[in-house]
Order: sequence, then C-alpha cells, then structure tokens
Amino acid sequence: MPRVQKKRKFYKDVFVNTSKFIKILRETLGEQCSIKEDKDSYGNHSIWMKLKVKESINVVANSIKSFKGRCIVATAYKNRDGSHTIIYHFDINGTILNVEIKTNDNMFFSITPIIPSANWAEREIREMYGVEPIGHPNTDRLFLDYSIAKGVLNEFIPLSKLQRGVSKTDIMWKKVEEDINNG
Amino acid sequence: MGKTIKIGPFHPELEESVYFKLVADKNSIVQEVEIVNGFIHRGMESLVTNRNFMQNLILTERVCSLCSNNHPFTFVMAVEKIANIKVPSRAEALRVVADEIKRAASNLFNLAMLSHLTHSYELMKDTLETREYLQDLKETIWGNRMDMSVNLFTGVKYDLDAKKVVHILEKLNLAIPKIKELQKRFENDEIIKQRCVGVGILPTEKALEIGVTGPVARGSGINNDVRVKAPYSLYALRPELQPRTKPRNGCDVLSRAMARFDDIIEAVRIIKDLLSDLPRGKTYLEKRPHIPEGEAVVRTEAPRGELIYYLKTDGSQKPIRMRWKVPTYTNWEALKVMILGDKVENVTIILNSIDPCISCTER
Repeated sequence: MPRVQKKRKFYKDVFVNTSKFIKILRETLGEQCSIKEDKDSYGNHSIWMKLKVKESINVVANSIKSFKGRCIVATAYKNRDGSHTIIYHFDINGTILNVEIKTNDNMFFSITPIIPSANWAEREIREMYGVEPIGHPNTDRLFLDYSIAKGVLNEFIPLSKLQRGVSKTDIMWKKVEEDINNG
Repeated sequence: MGKTIKIGPFHPELEESVYFKLVADKNSIVQEVEIVNGFIHRGMESLVTNRNFMQNLILTERVCSLCSNNHPFTFVMAVEKIANIKVPSRAEALRVVADEIKRAASNLFNLAMLSHLTHSYELMKDTLETREYLQDLKETIWGNRMDMSVNLFTGVKYDLDAKKVVHILEKLNLAIPKIKELQKRFENDEIIKQRCVGVGILPTEKALEIGVTGPVARGSGINNDVRVKAPYSLYALRPELQPRTKPRNGCDVLSRAMARFDDIIEAVRIIKDLLSDLPRGKTYLEKRPHIPEGEAVVRTEAPRGELIYYLKTDGSQKPIRMRWKVPTYTNWEALKVMILGDKVENVTIILNSIDPCISCTER
C-alpha cells in the first residue's frame, strides 16, 4: 500500500477507535462525565473528560485497558478551596485522553492494579501532595526522603518570601532577632 | 544462600546517581531487585510556577543536558497552543534540524557508554569521535556543545544561510559512513554480542503493560514514536520527514542499541532532506504573544522516547501548573523486569540500555 494511503488508513483507524471509545464511555457513565474534543494545529486529536464522581476512574481505566491504551502520566494540583485536581493523561494509539477527577478528602482510587503504567505517577502524587492512591501496590517513597513530610508541594514557600522574612516558618529570623536583642 | 549486593548511588559504572539493592543466588543470578532514587530531585515543577514564561524557557533547557533541546521545544509548543500561535514553517524546520542533531548526538553518547561498559575501548573511542562531528556542528551553528538555545515563543533564535547549510551537509557526509561502519561493528563485535545478546530481556507484552517508549519500546517490537503516531511540527506538515524505522524484535540490550542506530541514521536522513528543501520566510513572529487562560498537553519524541508537557495558565505571566514526563519515568519500571533473573555483572549494562536520564526524571 502506498505510504500516503497507509497514513490515511492509520488516521481513519485511530478516529474509529476513539469514537468507539467515547461512545462506550458515554453509554456507561452517562451524565457522570463531560467530554470535550480538541484538535491541535497539526491535526492531532485529544479528548478532555471530566468525571463528576472520582470512583468512575476505574470504569475509564478498564475501558482504556480493553483498547490497549496506556497511562502516560498524571498531573495533580491544589485548588484554592483546598481540594485537589488530578488529571490522568492516557494514550490510545496516538490520541491523548485527559481525564480529570477532583478529590476533597485527600484520597483517590489507584488505577495501577488495572493499568500498571500509572504506577509512578500515582506514587508521585502521594508524595508531593499528600493525596493517597487507595489500593496502590507500592507504598514506598518515589523521589523524596522519608524525612520530608508528605504533601511538600502543598506547603511550598517561595524563596523570595522566605528571604523577606514573611513566611509562616520564620524561625530563623526570630532567632536572629533574639540574638540582636540579647546583644 | 542469597547474598545482598549494593550498587550506587555513586559508582564508576553508573552514568548518574541511583542506588540498587540486589539479592542474588549462589550463581550470581538476581532474585530480588530494589531501586532507590531521588538523589537529585530539585523540585523544578514547583520552581517553574514561581518564574515567568520567559524565565521558564531558560529553566526548561537546563532540566537535562542530553535532551536539553526537547524540553524548551515542547514547552514552547504548549505555550503556543494555549496562545493559538501559528509558527512560520521555516521556524518549524529549524526546530526539527536542531532536534535531530541532538537526537543523533545523544544516542551516539549512549552507544559509546555501552562500549565503555563492555570494555571495548577502541569502539568507544571511534563512537565518541564520530559524535564529535555533531558536537562540532552544534558548536559552529549554535555556539554551544550542549544547550543550543534554539527556541523562542513564536519561532527560533537562529537562522541558516547557504554557507551554513553547506557546512552542515559536508559534516554530515563525513559522519554518515562512519555511523554505518559503527553500526556494523556493534552488530558483529564478539564482545558486544557476548555481553548484549539475550541480556536484559523485556518481552513485548511487558513493554506494553509498563508503557515504555522510544528506543526501549522499539527494541521490544513496539513503535510508538510520537513523530509517527501523533506527528507535530514539520513531521506533521511534511509526512515524508517522519522516521521510517522498524522496531527490533530481540527485546534485549543489543536490540535497544540497534534501535538507537536506526534513530541516528534516520535523524541524519531527516536533516539532509530538510536542508535540501528548507522553507523560506520568517524565523519568528515579531509580535510578542499574550498567553491567555487555558491548558494544553503537548508531546514530542525526545532521544529516549516520549516527552509530554502539561501546562495550565490563568492569563498571568506565570504558569499555575506545569508538569512534564520524560521517557525514563516509565522506562525505569521496565528495569525491574530486565534485571530480574539476569546476572549481577549485567546490571549496569542493562541500566545503560534504557539510557537513563535521572536528572530529567527526578526534576
């Protein structure tokens, strides 16, 4: 088959696969999820999905597994109201699927037992944000030493603030002041 | 009776700092493996949220040295996606030229390390000498041997005139026969074969399960090259530039090394094709972009595999969240599969076969 035709067939297959995938998820999750499709200037499709119930991530993970997809990575960040947003980035044959869940109770359900490629991403979220992936097979630290508290990214204090002495942990400055006052 | 062997975190045969705890049987076959990392974690993902986009362009180039072009390349693409910027095609072409030069040089470095670990010093010397053609090119065109500082929001910082194009082509024409000769030597060298064939096996199904990418995936029969699966930049605009590499099926250290050779040869071919028909026009847009509120996920193919950036912005000068995942992040877990059941003496050679970039992984 000529190269151009092969390429067209490949994109057709990918499109059919993703459309089928979205259809299945819409049928299974109904109103529990909202789906938005996106296309970049190079013609690559990506899907953005928001799950209203965080437990639904297991349904998505099982579907991704059946479509031979993989977890590329997961991103987490802390919201102003104290909750955490977690976005899983999956790949199904070249299409990126971003699935967003929200957690208010510092825990979410691990998908590593279903999709092993999510392993490190979930461990890192535990370590950096103190959000526990329930059911994750590995409880060891990934990058940070045990002497550093879990959720260190929640407590990050910029160096500039620290240098101005306006941080919450201004122990060092108090000691300096004490020394000055004591002569 | 099992014995415990500890390697690292600093060791003459380790490229970077990592700590292995191995339990081996009396025949020195690894029965248990534990890998401890985190020795060079720098909190960069936190740091970038405290810097503006321009500062982050400089910072991302310093995440790692070997794939130092891919980080800013992917980052600017994410920013451009949010800001809805269409980059001039000459700039896209120049980005690809820089990227492929880095890819070839990075892979040659890894192959030199492989010959170092097998104590084939003649081969190591020749591999590094061949790499010097590319290093010289980097120095001549971009003024630096590692950080090339190519990318800008909306384009690139450098341009190629006819004289420079001829210079690159001349250097590449000198390098090509040497690369091909090296490929044959690696494939047929008795010591390399002895140390690499059937060593560090990563079966295809395991590779799929773990989600490995790049030459590690291609060495296990999977081609998930981003340039082919989800083409970006000029690989999307001119599909004939996409790499035509075929995956290798050996699933061992040699297959991964050969997949790297395939990548190098294709990188040189892509640069030559591109330079013979370089698009004309501007190298960047003169209007300074406004970066609105938004989020984007962008990925590229780094020398070691898939590099992905997630960027979330709120319309201010700093990102709310920036997250990146480098190929080693997933390839690392595959090490446990590769090392288990293999000999202790092969551990460092297996580690080298994933071309670990710990500086990138730990950020």
